[in-house]
Amino acid sequence: MKTREDPDVAAVEAQRLTELETSSLARRVGSAWPAFLVFALLVAAWEGAARAELISRLVLPAPSRIFLALIELFTSGLIWEHLRATFLETMAGFAVGAGSAFVLAVLSSFWGWFRQIVSPYMIILQVTPRVALAPIFITWFGFGLMPKIVMAATICFFPVFINTLTGLLNTDEEALEMFRSMGASKRQIFTQFTMPSAMPVTFAGLKTGITLALIGAIVAEFVATSQGLGLLIDRFNFRLAMEEAFAVLLVLALLGLLLYGVMEFLDRRIVFWTREERLSKREIRSRRGREDTA
Amino acid sequence: MDEQGPATDTAGSATGGGPTVRARGITKVFPRGKVVALEDVSFVIKSGQFTSVVGPSGCGKSTLLRLVAGLIPRSYGELDVHGSDVTGPRTDIAMMFQRPILLPWKTALENVVLPRKIRGRLDERDWREGRSLLRLLALEEFRHAYPQHLSGGMQQRVALARLLITGADLLLMDEPFASLDEFTRERLNLELLRIQSEVAATVMFVTHNITEAVFLADQVLVMTPRPGRLAGIVEVPFGRPRTIELLRSPEFNDLAFKVRGLLGESI
Repeated sequence: MKTREDPDVAAVEAQRLTELETSSLARRVGSAWPAFLVFALLVAAWEGAARAELISRLVLPAPSRIFLALIELFTSGLIWEHLRATFLETMAGFAVGAGSAFVLAVLSSFWGWFRQIVSPYMIILQVTPRVALAPIFITWFGFGLMPKIVMAATICFFPVFINTLTGLLNTDEEALEMFRSMGASKRQIFTQFTMPSAMPVTFAGLKTGITLALIGAIVAEFVATSQGLGLLIDRFNFRLAMEEAFAVLLVLALLGLLLYGVMEFLDRRIVFWTREERLSKREIRSRRGREDTA
Repeated sequence: MDEQGPATDTAGSATGGGPTVRARGITKVFPRGKVVALEDVSFVIKSGQFTSVVGPSGCGKSTLLRLVAGLIPRSYGELDVHGSDVTGPRTDIAMMFQRPILLPWKTALENVVLPRKIRGRLDERDWREGRSLLRLLALEEFRHAYPQHLSGGMQQRVALARLLITGADLLLMDEPFASLDEFTRERLNLELLRIQSEVAATVMFVTHNITEAVFLADQVLVMTPRPGRLAGIVEVPFGRPRTIELLRSPEFNDLAFKVRGLLGESI
């Protein structure tokens, strides 16, 4: 670590903050253009190939046709019911799966004996290809939302559990000693130190978990369902309506992106300290306000 | 106890009051592997006194400090702080570590008031005191900065403020500035001396640096390893406040060599 003990270090620090704040947006936009260019070229090449009938419409329909199908899906209102179903299944599955994973991880971090009892099941659950459970869940819970929620929960459980547990167990011994020397109770050590320390790793698990929950919901929909985006893809595919199938795929991708984006946003908000640029002046001001009212 | 070193003179301290720490024959055996970390250590630290503990690694100086802090139990011997037996962490004893151990999700000021938060709800007075301690350590304008944006020396000063806000009058410091560069360390040592006289605290300061040990202290506990033993106690008669000039005086060098002599073959 550099030593900056000069009296004018405050000025330097302030200037650095300003630079961070102003440069990050400009830098992000500035550095993104090659990616945009490549994307535009790819889409253009694809469109050209499809129009020249170099690729069959049944293999890869033109982007413009997919786009039109997409608009049709939304204007006809066909998609809403299915989008709503898949979204609900994913969110409910994620809430149940991640929630129970979190609670079990916390309990496992408290008690070694509990961890010993639970971990063999965790390993079995992890090594089993969990998508194979989908038909069984359908048999158990029928054709409604329930089997999809259970599938989504089962599949997103593991990364959240293992990451949270790893984060909770991997604590700084000397920091624990410091808290004990301050007379902190076990509960205080958990809420003030262990839990926040585990947050970066936990969030990595949550981000993986939410995308897996979507996979779980779709897989269960493929097996048997009365609604959902998985059903829609399956149906369009069966009719060889490839434009529509691709349009639904695009909706799924956007849904996945949205879910991941929300988790990423929460991660950046809550675990702000792991990234250098988190320290913005705005953040400091809001914290200053909080402290003054405290 | 017969283990008091040749230079022991418990009556000779300039800043003496009643005893703050009284250790008699304390021994620590770690059950795993039956390692004797400390054997038969006896000493007295008077109220307001600055005591350095110096020795090579493995001499048990950190173990000794953790025993006094009540973080680990001793195997044998008596250990009183302010006349009562040490059985666990106490509010009149506070400890500072080699690493600053600041919480990265809390600002400098929030880190400083942490010990108060552990004891109960924070109120206006806690924030005010935290802020004035940061002022004392010339860090007031960084009170809203996160630790990872501060230099190593600044981080350790935040840790020092967090130590002081406990209000404990026995401060245990385990090589607190050892990982800092020479210049920063010298500066923080002087700052520590100034603050110690200001808050009238009793300090027990572990270091492996002989010069630092002698410069800071009223008495130096000299320890040797395998098993950890007290080789002797050296009284440091120099007045306060002390300046860096002291390092040049022949009397200072004589004392430093005396400490070195006690360490003998162990270094």
